[in-house]
Amino acid sequence: MPDFFREHLRPLAGSAGLHLLLLAILAGAALRWTSSQPPVELAIEGYVVDSAPPQRPATKSQRVEPLPKPQSDSPPPPEPAAEPAAMRREEDASVAERAAREQLETEQRAERAAAERQRAAEAAEAKRRAAEAETRRKVADDEAKRQAAEREAKRKAEAEDARRKSEAAAQAERDARQSAEREAALRRRLAAEEEAGAAVSAGVMDEYRRMLAQTIERSWIRPPSARAGLQCTLLVTQAPGGTVMDVTLGACNGDAAVRESITNAVYRASPLPAPRDPRAFERRLEIVFKPTE
Amino acid sequence: MLYPQVLRRRAVLALAAFAMQLVAAPSQAQLRLDITQGVRDAVPIAVVPFGGQAEGAPTEVASVVANDLRMSGRFAPLERRDIVARPTSGEEIRFEDWRLLRADFIVVGRVETDASGLAVSFELHNVRTGAPLLSERLPTTERGLRSTSHRVADLVFEKLTGLPGAFSTRIAYVAVDGRPPAQRYRLIVADADGYNPRTVADSTEPLMSPAWSPDGRSLAYVSFEGKASAIYVQRLSTGERVRVSARAGINGAPAWSPDGGRLALTLSREGNLDIYTLDLASQALTRVTTDEAIDTEPEWARDGESLYFTSDRAGSAQIYRVALDGARRAERVTFTNSYNARPRLSPDGKELAMVTLDRGGYRIAVMELASRNLRVLTTSAQDDSPSFAPNGAMLIYASRERGRGALAAVSADGAFHQRLSSDQGDVRDPAWSPIPPRG
Repeated sequence: MPDFFREHLRPLAGSAGLHLLLLAILAGAALRWTSSQPPVELAIEGYVVDSAPPQRPATKSQRVEPLPKPQSDSPPPPEPAAEPAAMRREEDASVAERAAREQLETEQRAERAAAERQRAAEAAEAKRRAAEAETRRKVADDEAKRQAAEREAKRKAEAEDARRKSEAAAQAERDARQSAEREAALRRRLAAEEEAGAAVSAGVMDEYRRMLAQTIERSWIRPPSARAGLQCTLLVTQAPGGTVMDVTLGACNGDAAVRESITNAVYRASPLPAPRDPRAFERRLEIVFKPTE
Repeated sequence: MLYPQVLRRRAVLALAAFAMQLVAAPSQAQLRLDITQGVRDAVPIAVVPFGGQAEGAPTEVASVVANDLRMSGRFAPLERRDIVARPTSGEEIRFEDWRLLRADFIVVGRVETDASGLAVSFELHNVRTGAPLLSERLPTTERGLRSTSHRVADLVFEKLTGLPGAFSTRIAYVAVDGRPPAQRYRLIVADADGYNPRTVADSTEPLMSPAWSPDGRSLAYVSFEGKASAIYVQRLSTGERVRVSARAGINGAPAWSPDGGRLALTLSREGNLDIYTLDLASQALTRVTTDEAIDTEPEWARDGESLYFTSDRAGSAQIYRVALDGARRAERVTFTNSYNARPRLSPDGKELAMVTLDRGGYRIAVMELASRNLRVLTTSAQDDSPSFAPNGAMLIYASRERGRGALAAVSADGAFHQRLSSDQGDVRDPAWSPIPPRG
């Protein structure tokens, strides 16, 4: 076994180094993985959080901007009901006065019309400005939305990128580990195959042989005529479960008592124990009874 | 720089793998393993009630067989209540049923009656493999049914242990009734399972140390019936007996030579106890030991050329061995404990059973002669008189139970113990018979 280690020291050290390296990569990736993960989580939350801010400034600007109040600032009513009464009283006055009054009225009418026009123009201007503001607001809103969307997209892209990168790293690590494992397994299998004959015939085989011998020795009711110098061989066939199928007597210098006792020892021991390694199982056993005293 | 390195490593590994394949190639086909030990468990066996016999018949063959096998400590017969199927021949056995009951072996059979009398037919099968192992037909009689049953157990035991069965053997022992001075001593011979006790000698004076002749037909024993000790040899079939030694002083501890022609015994005719051999045909007496210490309890080596015996020549009782030819110099055999006595040799001559003082108690132990390894088999405080079963599988010995002598048995490996119940009062001095000759 030490020879085995000495011989395999270099590949073993290489394998250990490779494992350490891979472990380091894995550790780094794991660190990156853990730091990049929360943003991804936030980004997911962000779909909810980020859609609100662009709307919030918009409503604020709506409130701050002076609303066009044309409806509430309507010009004072012309009071047409009072006018005819005054004109009737003035008919009694002079025509000049009347003419002057008419001129005045005309002027006043023109003034009023001008004021009216002014007001209308002002209202139109206010309307226009309101529309403009609305448009601006809309544009700003759209811009905010667009920017938010852009930011979101960028964030998502970045998160995705990070995720892809870490996934790629993890995959690369996995691939590296798998190939290392495959290589190690291959190496082990090779070594096992190379060792197979030796392992089964030495360690496991010895143990199996010992287990079988102990079981049969416990089952052998040794007759008095089985003394030192006795040597009898049995050829035993067992089924895979250890059940004794057949016992055939080979060379034997013992008497009938010995022959019957050893045959029955094997049958009494059935089912025979199984080896630790199934490859060590052997259907055919050659059992030699040779008591030491 | 790296590249050639890798190349070189690859090349080396490939070479190593190739070499491995070369080496491993033969074991690819089958895995080889060695079994070097087993366990000392009782073998599960089904003894099915025999056909041709009513349940509760006076001598149920299957009960006798199962009991024998159980008493040997090497078998665990299935309980009768677990035996549901009643096959009486091999073809009727459904092995899978008995595998479910975890029996390893099965005994089936029947008692057949024909014109010439009775016969016991039986078969032994391996439950795991279905293989037939024994099939016999033993002619018998109504009276002989019990001993035929022991014979069945013997054959099964031998087939499955490799040791001859010892169930058809007998044990001799001394029973003492009453209290002094009105005591009664009886020499009893019973079946190995304790059945059929039969008094072969009866005395108001002590009877001691029964010893079986190698052919199992006679017993030598010590009797104080003339107020002094004497050694008798009694033929069991006729009851005819011969007084072989009634010398002044102590006549004790008779032991048969393997060929049955001589007795080793202990005499005090020279003042202290020494070992002698007595030729039964010529009555020639030969002194074996001359030490001033007590030498007693002789036991023949299997080749009949040396004796084991107990001596306190080293200050406390130890076991020695002395060759019967040449210088007759005794060599000490036991060294482990401060007291070792009553040597009894195993049937194969490789082990010596004895009484040893072990941790404050007199216990039964068996020593392997080659290694001098001593294994203590019992745990009580006053065990005595070990005697091997003729197949060496068990020992019977004398113990104390509630202040009275009792008999007990232990397997030679110490794994299985049993008390032999006795309704004969105070019992002692057991001796296990040889396997009786068959024919």
